[in-house]
Amino acid sequence: MDLSLLNVGAVAVLGLLGVGLYGLLVSRNLIKVIIALQLLGKAAVLGLLVAGKASGQMNLSQSLAITVIVADTIVAVVGMALAIQVRRQLKTLDVRELARLKG
Amino acid sequence: METWLIILPILLPWLGAVVVWALQERAPRLQHALAVAFALGGGAAAIALLPHAGDEALVRVPLGTVFGDFTLVPDGLGLFLTIIATVVGGLAVVFSGEYMRGEAQLARYYALVLFFIGAMAGLVLSGGFLMLFLFWEITAFCSYALISFYNDDPKAVSAGVKALIMTQFGGVGLMVLALVAYGYLGSYDINTFIAQAHTLPAGLLGAVAFASLAAAAAKSAQVPFQTWLPDAMEAPTPISALIHAATMVNAGVYLLARLYPAFAEVPGWTAAVVTVGLLSALLAAIMALVATDLKRVLAYSTVSQLGYMVYAVGVGGVFASQLHLLSHSVFKALLFLSAGAIIHAVGTRDMRQMGGLGRKMPIVRAVFVIGALALVGLPPANGFFSKELVLEEGLAHGPAWAYAGMLLGAGLTALYTIRMVAMVFHGESRVTKHVHDALPLMSAPLGLLALGTLTTWLLAGPFSGLLARTLPFHTLEETTTWHLVEEIFTAPATWLALLVIAVGLALWFLRARLDGLRQALQPLSGLAANSFGFEALNRQISHGVRGAAGALSRTQTGQLNWNVAAIVGALALVLAILVWRAG
Repeated sequence: MDLSLLNVGAVAVLGLLGVGLYGLLVSRNLIKVIIALQLLGKAAVLGLLVAGKASGQMNLSQSLAITVIVADTIVAVVGMALAIQVRRQLKTLDVRELARLKG
Repeated sequence: METWLIILPILLPWLGAVVVWALQERAPRLQHALAVAFALGGGAAAIALLPHAGDEALVRVPLGTVFGDFTLVPDGLGLFLTIIATVVGGLAVVFSGEYMRGEAQLARYYALVLFFIGAMAGLVLSGGFLMLFLFWEITAFCSYALISFYNDDPKAVSAGVKALIMTQFGGVGLMVLALVAYGYLGSYDINTFIAQAHTLPAGLLGAVAFASLAAAAAKSAQVPFQTWLPDAMEAPTPISALIHAATMVNAGVYLLARLYPAFAEVPGWTAAVVTVGLLSALLAAIMALVATDLKRVLAYSTVSQLGYMVYAVGVGGVFASQLHLLSHSVFKALLFLSAGAIIHAVGTRDMRQMGGLGRKMPIVRAVFVIGALALVGLPPANGFFSKELVLEEGLAHGPAWAYAGMLLGAGLTALYTIRMVAMVFHGESRVTKHVHDALPLMSAPLGLLALGTLTTWLLAGPFSGLLARTLPFHTLEETTTWHLVEEIFTAPATWLALLVIAVGLALWFLRARLDGLRQALQPLSGLAANSFGFEALNRQISHGVRGAAGALSRTQTGQLNWNVAAIVGALALVLAILVWRAG
């Protein structure tokens, strides 16, 4: 099997994506949900870099990656702030309890 | 300058809606004054625009990509309906000051009314189908919200939901029309569509012609969609006047009149339009004969009079239909607002509990009788001239059976109107509480509308000129009022119609002697009281839609994991489709 940088990178992207989606689907703790979201974001960054390497447009891919990193940080910050508010209001971090907002 | 004038009839009411909403419950009197000012300000702008009428768009904002251009066209048809929406609507707002005094949540009331008026102005001024559709849906939403204004009354809520569901059928038809126009002609522009309609495949043109007939029938409460309008009586009375006279139901007739040149050649279309108009006019008149709720009788009379307008379009009398629309919006607003004054005084809508009110409410009786004259179609009220014109067009260009039916409808109109006037104002008083005449804020709009009912027919000549000049695809000729009046009085159709009306009136006075006939017609009156089965049908549809909505709402679990699963699933599906298309 060819262990070139591209192949390793692609496997890493898919792995991160899989772990992130699995985490989003099964975790009930809001903090874990945010961690899963972060994993998905990292998968996207890595995917951009691998794609840039493959197409030879490293400049473009790096600038996009920086943008995603910045956006990702904001997602983390807002997510954590929401988690704190949910904990204060509902006395729990269980996302199933958020369904109470429905109606 | 003109650019601003054409935007103001939409912008001012909408701006007013935001302002009165922001005031909330703090200053009801200021709120009322502001609502009146913003509505009538829009009306003033629309009237000031009259000298600038034309068929060129005054406002053109490119929206980009598939959305086409947002255009506002000040042609005669649109301008005339804008004036009706803003001025008659404004008078209904004036009337609300007294009628709605002390009610809770007036901010919601006035904001929705102004939003409604502005949306109606946008609907008729829009030069493109997409914006027409958008405004069309906004008016549907506003009518729903206003019919359900008393939202703690289950009857009002279900009436509002029913109106929303039934008019949505029409909305779908209009959307199909917009998409077909864009798909085949690459433009939403209505005039482009009318000019190039004949280049569309015949079957497709037929389909959109009937789709727009369905749209118009749903909006204008024509058979088989008519039952939402009588149910809409749960709304406060000024809202009934607004829906029946100034906005909403006019939109359907407007759509038919506007698109008539595009669809006139479609086989069977004009016959279908005539049939819808005829059935609505006749069935609604019979239902009005047996109804005992004052507002319900007026609602059926609206369906019936709208039937006359639809019929007029069907026989090619676009001008006659629009003239009748003008007359109808003035006299129906008058009738509804006077009914509001009666209901406000008596505290019931049931005519069996009224009677003998003429002595106690002389002003209201005077204006109500003027409105009734117009409804029946007797001179000198405006309804006489426009209805005769409709019937004359029908005799000249339409099938004889339809003309006979409409003539019968005129007789029935006379009969139910005199029954209504007699039950409310004459005979033994069955009212127990002390009754007051119209209050000042009520009499002002009533007086203006009564004056309008007696005089708007004088505008027929200039109105025909306005339409003839600014509608390039309709074959209309400019005449003078004098010429029209002469034509009406010399036409045999007029005297025939007056004879039928006289027979209708005579039937009421001879009702005691005609008891046998009434017994014979008993089964018919039972059918009419049940709305000829349409009520059950429409209720079924309404129930079905609500049931489906309830079932679908279960898919909204509010569970984060489920939502993520759905998003990931949809993403995978899109990717799979992309891969499959590429491969």
